[in-house]
Amino acid sequence: MSAAFASSTDSKMKSNNDNIRTVDSVKKKGLSDKNKKRANNASGNSTVIKVKSVIPRRRQDLLKWYGWGYKDSMFHLDGINACFTGNRYSIGGQTLPFLAQWAIDKLGVDTTREPKIPKMPTKFPDSRLPKNIQAELEKIALVSVDGMDRLIRCHGQTLKDMSQLRNNSFPRIPDAVIWPESHKQVEQIVSCATRHKFVIIPFGGGTSVSGSVTCPAKETRPILVLDTSDMNSILWLDKEQLLARVQAGIVGQDLEREMRARGFTVGHEPDSYEFSTLGGWVATRASGMKKNTYGNIEDLIVQTKVVTPRGVLEKGCRVPRISCGPEWEHIVMGSEGCFGVVTEVVIKIRPLPPVVCYGSLVFPNWESGFYFEREVARQRLQPSSIRLMDNEQFRFGQALKTESTWGGVLLDGLKRLYITKIKGFDPTKLCVVTLLMEGTSEQVADREKKLNAIAAWYGGIPAGATNGENGYTLTFVIAYLRDVAMEYDVVAESFETSVPWDRTLALCANVKKRIEDECRKRGIDKFLISHRLTQTYDAGCCIYFYFGHNTAKCPDPVTTYEEIEEAARDEIIACGGSISHHHGVGKLRKKWYTNTVSDLGRELLFSTKKTLDPDNIFALSNMAFEEQTNETKTVISKL
Amino acid sequence: MCEQVNFVDILEPRRTQSGIFSFMSRNWYPQRTQILDRYCSPEDLKNIVENSAYLDAIIEAECSRTGVNKAKLQRNVHSYLEEMGLDKKLHIIRWMGVIFLKISFMMKIKMFVNEAAVLNLKSTIGKNPVLFLPTHRSYADFCLMTYLCYHYDIDFPAVAAGMDFYSMAVIGRRMRETCAFYIRRTLVGDQLYAATLKQYVRTLVAKHCAPIEFFLEGTRSRSNKSIPPKYGMLSMCLMPLFAHEVTDITIVPINISYDRLMEQSLFAYEHLGVPKPKESTGGLLKALHNLNDHFGSIYVNLGNPLSVREYLKNNTLYTRETLKPVDLQQLTNEQFKQVQSIADYVTTLQQKNTVATISNLLSLVLMQSVIKNEPLHFDEVLQEVNWMATVLRHLGGSVFENDVKSSVERILVVHGKMMRLDRQRRLRLISGVLMDMSNDIEKKMKGHTLQAQTMAVAVPIIQLQLYVNPILHCLVSPAIICLIVHKNLVDKVKLEVDYHQIRKMLSHEFFYLEHEEENRFSKALEYCIENKVVTYNGDVYSLGEDTKLQYLLKWSVWPALTTVLKCAEIMLKQCSCEHKQALKLVQQDVELARCHPYCLSLEAATNCLQGLVAVGAMIKLKREQEVTYEVVPTVMENCHSIIKSILPQFAVEFGSSNAVMLDDRTLSRL
Repeated sequence: MSAAFASSTDSKMKSNNDNIRTVDSVKKKGLSDKNKKRANNASGNSTVIKVKSVIPRRRQDLLKWYGWGYKDSMFHLDGINACFTGNRYSIGGQTLPFLAQWAIDKLGVDTTREPKIPKMPTKFPDSRLPKNIQAELEKIALVSVDGMDRLIRCHGQTLKDMSQLRNNSFPRIPDAVIWPESHKQVEQIVSCATRHKFVIIPFGGGTSVSGSVTCPAKETRPILVLDTSDMNSILWLDKEQLLARVQAGIVGQDLEREMRARGFTVGHEPDSYEFSTLGGWVATRASGMKKNTYGNIEDLIVQTKVVTPRGVLEKGCRVPRISCGPEWEHIVMGSEGCFGVVTEVVIKIRPLPPVVCYGSLVFPNWESGFYFEREVARQRLQPSSIRLMDNEQFRFGQALKTESTWGGVLLDGLKRLYITKIKGFDPTKLCVVTLLMEGTSEQVADREKKLNAIAAWYGGIPAGATNGENGYTLTFVIAYLRDVAMEYDVVAESFETSVPWDRTLALCANVKKRIEDECRKRGIDKFLISHRLTQTYDAGCCIYFYFGHNTAKCPDPVTTYEEIEEAARDEIIACGGSISHHHGVGKLRKKWYTNTVSDLGRELLFSTKKTLDPDNIFALSNMAFEEQTNETKTVISKL
Repeated sequence: MCEQVNFVDILEPRRTQSGIFSFMSRNWYPQRTQILDRYCSPEDLKNIVENSAYLDAIIEAECSRTGVNKAKLQRNVHSYLEEMGLDKKLHIIRWMGVIFLKISFMMKIKMFVNEAAVLNLKSTIGKNPVLFLPTHRSYADFCLMTYLCYHYDIDFPAVAAGMDFYSMAVIGRRMRETCAFYIRRTLVGDQLYAATLKQYVRTLVAKHCAPIEFFLEGTRSRSNKSIPPKYGMLSMCLMPLFAHEVTDITIVPINISYDRLMEQSLFAYEHLGVPKPKESTGGLLKALHNLNDHFGSIYVNLGNPLSVREYLKNNTLYTRETLKPVDLQQLTNEQFKQVQSIADYVTTLQQKNTVATISNLLSLVLMQSVIKNEPLHFDEVLQEVNWMATVLRHLGGSVFENDVKSSVERILVVHGKMMRLDRQRRLRLISGVLMDMSNDIEKKMKGHTLQAQTMAVAVPIIQLQLYVNPILHCLVSPAIICLIVHKNLVDKVKLEVDYHQIRKMLSHEFFYLEHEEENRFSKALEYCIENKVVTYNGDVYSLGEDTKLQYLLKWSVWPALTTVLKCAEIMLKQCSCEHKQALKLVQQDVELARCHPYCLSLEAATNCLQGLVAVGAMIKLKREQEVTYEVVPTVMENCHSIIKSILPQFAVEFGSSNAVMLDDRTLSRL
């Protein structure tokens, strides 16, 4: 394992200064007025750091409108050659000599044909927002009713979202988009919605994989998407107390970049953090890769300010802990947009660790790797991140290897020889643990020694820093795979759960088995199931499943996939797993909500809604909330 | 304030052979204003400010806004702190003390201090920061307060000084070493400087264990009377209380009254629009030889310490600002209003603590005789001074005087250049000399270019008015009542309405608190009835029998009312006018109409214009740097007619034809 300096971790995401926030000419006028106003506001002794976001207001200029991530970054298959385009990630611009063969073998992909890339739609449903309301909103902040602006903000990143997006077949898209810049403007917008009875959907990065931001299909009222991305200032930064008050629309990578430039880090890195926002993290109860060091979102946040239709919810003091009945600020954590908009957050920051270093360990099989993880958690020796990948994923990782020098190939060969021949590991069974360690060089070295000792006890052997680093680098690239898969008639999706230690092994085995059965039942023979253990806690861990199958034999691939995923979730719940570790409930996992929280819990949710949003302005219909149609509304009013 | 106050001349014990040196070199263990676990040196204070979370946050924000390199901004902050930061060098203070005493003796000054108040203060300090808020009438104020602290073993106050002194050779540095910190006059345009200052002052109050001294009025009052306070410095100083960094802040209102102002003629010229000379060490040295004269007594009257916490009734308002880091906490609007109310209240406390000196009384007498155009014999003068003292005491002024005759004789020496007894032992005002108006000065004139003759007439009258001004605040309310009643019989409602209208027009000329006015009105009315200025038949008010008192009251506000009237006339004619232009026109008009020369004062005109804005007769528009007034015709006409109807008429010529004026040159020729 080798030590790398903290700054080198930035390399996985090269900066893109050339991407300035752009707006089309119509919007420019409005914007310049706004800037003037802001300049006036800032004339006092302002501590506000206005952050220039990487993501432009016209998201489609930088981001792929029909899929994940940046426009210029994607997997590209051409016969037996594959590559990853762009230069944003470390594998960018390099050929991937093993990928195509892997896809052919595993999923039966026909790599010789053209990928199916959709055309940008030109026709959109008309905006239902009445002109007078639009005018009123325009007085508050920038508004757009442009079709494309509305389309790209009507969905998250579920398979269904992607499929409907590619076919431009959403039953409902929002009627307008608004970009408030401040808490005050959000208050005005919400009060406008209360007066005129329209729906607001808060929109951050649009990376939800639970369907939570997807437009409710049957909503008849006008829908306004409140895009929080202009609320991305750091309101204050206190380096002494290691706290920052940040507007909730800030994008993860912007927040992290600003903090790093000043020698700090938030350390919250969900796989979506390049695009997801602080407010989105709060609303979904997000979890980051490095939670062992920095904590999950609920540990990171000291205070949240929320605008609800009935007013603003915020504690009157900023304290490390309080004993004062239920913590009402936590009501918004995981509320999935149904209660209001998170506008400002006080978040902990940490000094950048002097040393960041990667490592990896190879175990003969899943079980030995699992017990290793259990032991590390028992001793609370987790480094910033520790993950166990199953054999499928290990091999997929090998398939994503780039062309390297002869020396490198030779070295890999020797390693493989050592592991398989000398140590006697079965290449179809071995599993890999990747490690990310942070701290002073002594701390890191000490931790490494201890982990190696435990690993040895469970039959594991160190496998070098490079393997570890590759594992983490690929985290951000893997999200792009789904797009290329769809282009070649493969649907793929991931889902996760949290589970107690004692039920983990059984859960993994049962879910895998259940998916296999479901596939066979449907005559699907080319499919892939893989899982990994991504987080460890005292009382259990988080298991992440990847599942994809060839859709050549499916009349309705998305439905087929959803049926199988539902079956898998049923299995998870039956095996003692949870509805979700960090993706949230949204519209996809409503089925299991009530059992998870109990009937009374569901009633509490309804009562909360009644208190905070009696008119159902935030009609996202996530969790236990039903979609509201005109009929149900009249029923309610009769009651 | 009729209580007997004992003033002690603290310079007296030093008038011995070796008094100065042994006193200035004694062991000195000052009392601190706060007992802390750790005391900060002046360097520590600057470091704390430089490393504060507040400035760091400001710098970060500025960096991201302007793209300026962070290290550069940090260097800026450092240099700002070097510029403003106080220093403390005891040996310098001791030497300065020696020089102070030497000069004081040269000026033949007596420095009377309300010793009981100082001792009382000393017994209470030590628990929380203390602010000394003296009136500012002269540059000497600094030195007096610092010397007073040395005398009474109180740690040297950190004094807020204008940048004018900073640039003075040697003196600038020495002042810093006697605990002065420098502030720029204007904070506009340089946010980083403003932030640095804010944090420095805040740190000083919270962590420096000596009193903080600054002048609420922000500048020397050129008219020798209270001017409306500025709020900026006080808000910075009170921030530690609002942020609950300290338990309380004690404010000590202090009034310093002078028998003779060193700056009197400069002030008189400034009123007319001749700019003040730039402060320089050379200028100071030149001024020194002028100090070899009699300057009479100075009265330093400390008021009762005011606990800000008690004043706010412990209601320091919980605010959402608490959610911010303490360093970043700012005043909310409500808190700023509280600061304003404190500042206003302290200004009234300063006024209450005014000591009416014999200079003031004598000037009243002399001014009245000028207006009556009747010189008074010395004996009559004594009678009148006594009468004036009684009047003032009745009005709640405090007069520190034991022996009128010797005092008046002393003052005649002190003010020998302004007034003197002629051969018939009649008190005369010495008329001015024609001033050389060089082109250079003419160019710099702020207002209308007045004729040399006008200035010669005006200067002595304005100088005299400077000594009348400090006690006018006692007279204003009864004077307005007297004038309204003088015009015609009125019932109480009408009287009250007119009173408030007029008082508001004078709100800037004579400092006032709106919420106090009702109370003041009834007190003044009571006074007028008691003293037979007006009588009340149960229905309407009419003039009483005391014509002498009526006369005094009427002329006391005559110049101010005339100025308001002139302003109103000009504005009615102009409809819309820039501030500077309005001032010029008023001066021009006053010069032509030969009104009371004090009406030529730019300060008075500015105050009256503000007053007219206050009553809604004009609207003030700020454009770029220019202030423009827009007349509201109906209101303005109404104001104009009210003032015109009550304005007293005195047919008097202020030039050399006035019987009280004495031409010095003719005298010397005789």
